[in-house]
Amino acid sequence: MTEDRFDSFLASALAPEPRQPDRAFVARVQARIALDEQMAAERRRSLAHFAGQLLALGAVAAAIACLGRAAPVASFFAAAPGVLVLLLAFLFLVVLLSPRPRAASFTMLNVS
Amino acid sequence: MTAGNEEDLALSRRAAAGDGAAFAMLVEKHERALRAFLTRMAGAELADDIAQEAFVKAWRAAGQYDGRARYSTWLTRIAWRCRLDELRKATPRSAEAREAADSNRSAEVNDILARLDDKERAALVLCDGHGWTHAEAAELLGMPLGTLKSVIARAKAKCRRMWSGETSD
Repeated sequence: MTEDRFDSFLASALAPEPRQPDRAFVARVQARIALDEQMAAERRRSLAHFAGQLLALGAVAAAIACLGRAAPVASFFAAAPGVLVLLLAFLFLVVLLSPRPRAASFTMLNVS
Repeated sequence: MTAGNEEDLALSRRAAAGDGAAFAMLVEKHERALRAFLTRMAGAELADDIAQEAFVKAWRAAGQYDGRARYSTWLTRIAWRCRLDELRKATPRSAEAREAADSNRSAEVNDILARLDDKERAALVLCDGHGWTHAEAAELLGMPLGTLKSVIARAKAKCRRMWSGETSD
């Protein structure tokens, strides 16, 4: 085979096959994009929820700190420091057990 | 802007604004060439995964397409990066998938291509098979234009040698 003939043979062998657009592939891409968008929305919701919780926790902690500075409360905590620890543990439990946004389910992850 | 690119730019702008139908038209228009290229590079099974990943990334980045390059060039650049990521986390499964896919394709040409290195194969497929300009391929593969030209010449010479060796047996 001459050099030119080989070059044109190679070019035709490497060219994409002529065919109609693959609608099934297009649908798969669309499904994956939909899933991707859903996951991104879940992530945003989770982040907003976490930020809200953090803010609420900060506000409660600040309120306790303010209250703790008041003379009668300060002397109470000085007399029974265990109460302060219990109060903080209770707050931690409230944060831990408060409802969270629903996470993406496994069946959703399997859409493809 | 590259001539003939206006339609893709308009579709991409609509996609950036959240128009899924416009993006589906872009997928429909470009999936054939992209999947053909990726099949040559990674085998049929992996090619579809990489192509899907590339289209999802193209959807997310639709607003960044400015029409200076052809849409297919921009898209292939995204897919090429996905392919490099895939190579970094390559598992034995990838190799098996590739072998399985290879058995379904034109054996001689694929055997020859398999003996080229990744960049030689990509340069040859894009410039000789897909009609890319040397400048476009050089940019995608991150090499100077002169280097790309010699990579292609070397790849062609290798193919020619292997082909004549195989056909003369």
